[in-house]
Amino acid sequence: MGLRGYLALWCALFGTVALVGYVRSLAGVTAAQRAVRVPGRIERVREPRHGSSQRDGIPVVVSFQDPSTGEEFTVTNDRDHGERIAVAWTGRDIGVHYPPGRPHAYRFTGDLEAAPRGLGWPNFAVFLIYVGLVVFAAIDRGWPWALVGFGLPWTLSGLWYVPQNARAVRRRIAALTSQPPVPGRVVAVLTDTSTDSEGVTFLSHMPVIAFTTHTGTAVTAYCTEDLPDPAHSHGRDVMIHYDPDDPALFTPDLAAQDRSRLFDLTCGTVALLLGAAATVAGVVLL
Amino acid sequence: MTATTGAGAAPPARNTPLALARGLLTGGVIGASPTMLVVGAVIESVPLFVTGVALPAIYGLLLFLSGAPGRAREAATAPCTALAVIESRELLGDEAAGDVAVRFVSTVAPDTAPAYRVAFTQPVHPADLPDHRPGGVVVVQYPPDRPWRVRIVKRPTPRWEERAAGAHLDAAPGPVLESEPDETGAVGYVRLLALLLAAAGVVLLFRADLFDEGATAQPPSPTRPSVSSSSSSSTTVVSAASGTVTLGPHQSFLDKAALRRAVASLSTGTDARAALTVVVQDRLLSVVYAPTVSQAPAFDPDSLPYERFPSLVGEAKRSLGVGAPQTWQLTVERLTGSLTVRVGVTGAGGTASLEADGDGTVVRRTPAH
Repeated sequence: MGLRGYLALWCALFGTVALVGYVRSLAGVTAAQRAVRVPGRIERVREPRHGSSQRDGIPVVVSFQDPSTGEEFTVTNDRDHGERIAVAWTGRDIGVHYPPGRPHAYRFTGDLEAAPRGLGWPNFAVFLIYVGLVVFAAIDRGWPWALVGFGLPWTLSGLWYVPQNARAVRRRIAALTSQPPVPGRVVAVLTDTSTDSEGVTFLSHMPVIAFTTHTGTAVTAYCTEDLPDPAHSHGRDVMIHYDPDDPALFTPDLAAQDRSRLFDLTCGTVALLLGAAATVAGVVLL
Repeated sequence: MTATTGAGAAPPARNTPLALARGLLTGGVIGASPTMLVVGAVIESVPLFVTGVALPAIYGLLLFLSGAPGRAREAATAPCTALAVIESRELLGDEAAGDVAVRFVSTVAPDTAPAYRVAFTQPVHPADLPDHRPGGVVVVQYPPDRPWRVRIVKRPTPRWEERAAGAHLDAAPGPVLESEPDETGAVGYVRLLALLLAAAGVVLLFRADLFDEGATAQPPSPTRPSVSSSSSSSTTVVSAASGTVTLGPHQSFLDKAALRRAVASLSTGTDARAALTVVVQDRLLSVVYAPTVSQAPAFDPDSLPYERFPSLVGEAKRSLGVGAPQTWQLTVERLTGSLTVRVGVTGAGGTASLEADGDGTVVRRTPAH
């Protein structure tokens, strides 16, 4: 079997996967489409214990109603129940989904509006077919095809992503600076230890801050960035800028946001230019 | 939630024929796959290499699919929740290395079934260890049909938390229900055996190509004037002046691509050398190389129209009236200036010959007489 044979086999295999996936999605029978999606409400928030694991999320009690039976469920969160809850306040809406008829297998999601179509695997199969075609073209017709094949979609996605990202960051900073900051405090630092294959131990620290908004909402949140020396931040007082429309968007260091905006923009532009240069070089060398 | 299954049912033993068969297959795949990768790379066989990659992927997929109905059944049933008292705990790992495995012996007290004792192991974050002291009451969950698969609930709901806080439980009498045992030694032994057999099987299956490859890969050099190799399919002898390939029984140089392959094996690892004469018989190929300082009219042995040779021999045998039985010999040289392919055939009816040019086109026929 030659190169063409392997390519045909590759395309046939992943083509079948993609086709089956798209047909299932059109028929509305993918697991994501069949899942029951209901809004949940955070009823109670507790401060995590200092030194405990960050993988379980902020301890909350959530209530939701199963639409088919009308039964009310009160549940808690840990690492086995979907997305980690990193920002919580009493009364916050949170998405809950589960397979039909199995509310005990509930999973949390931060995306309340999304109606997923279960196209992840079929789209990935199409991507693999594309990669196969580009690799084949690079071997069969010459290596510049690899530059064009990978550089072109890279550039197009960059053209789509970079301006959109720049606008989103500008809007976020405008929202964060729209009102004066509120005082907050690092109430715990969560610590996880991991060991790699060579026995080297790594420690990761996650500060948890608590602050109350101008409207009286008590927010408990993982502070994933912008806090210097997180390992020794327990008990530290900080000033929090937050988005009044969504307190889940906050920062203890506004200047760091500006710096990260510049960094994001630079990285995006460099990646875009690299993609464009690869494409042009590929076309010229063809 | 209520417990629907009474305690006391022992977990099923896993030393079943199914477990043994699975161990056999798993060992076979683990042994065969890397061996195929290595052998495929050594003998440069792409199909073998691809099989080595695809085999574990397909086997893993089949294993996953075969376990799917069981997993779906298990996921469909809501777990039972109950209070339990920790009788003893034993730390099995190092607290400094992250979550530590803890072996608990507990008494579980379901609401609607008799209390039972169970031993199970669960990873616990070091900061949460104070919550799991002996004598403490915790909330646990387990599948209704597997009461030995107990798991401590890290964050109980407020209702269960209140019940646990106000409860006082005593340890139940009776034997301790062990959580599912690890697989038995027999399964491990079968797996190891299958692993070794599969690896050895792949090597044995391709031993001819492996050993052949190892020998012909060594180029002839002035310090090593002669290299010979043999396998079940052919014997190759190469020296500075000549090269000979003798085929094994039941083979012929008239087979498709056999000649091209044999010539390629002679020139493996050496610079292209010009030939004075190429002689082919049914199972013998002989190439006489031109000395480097020679002015004799030589030619590149790779450039000959080998694909035409079988039909030239066939034509000489059929059309020149030599009768049967027949022997034949094909000779290529360019002593007269242009490349000449001469096929001589001897049979009951006498001797005949046929001449062709460098492209394999017949230019002269001398019938038997």
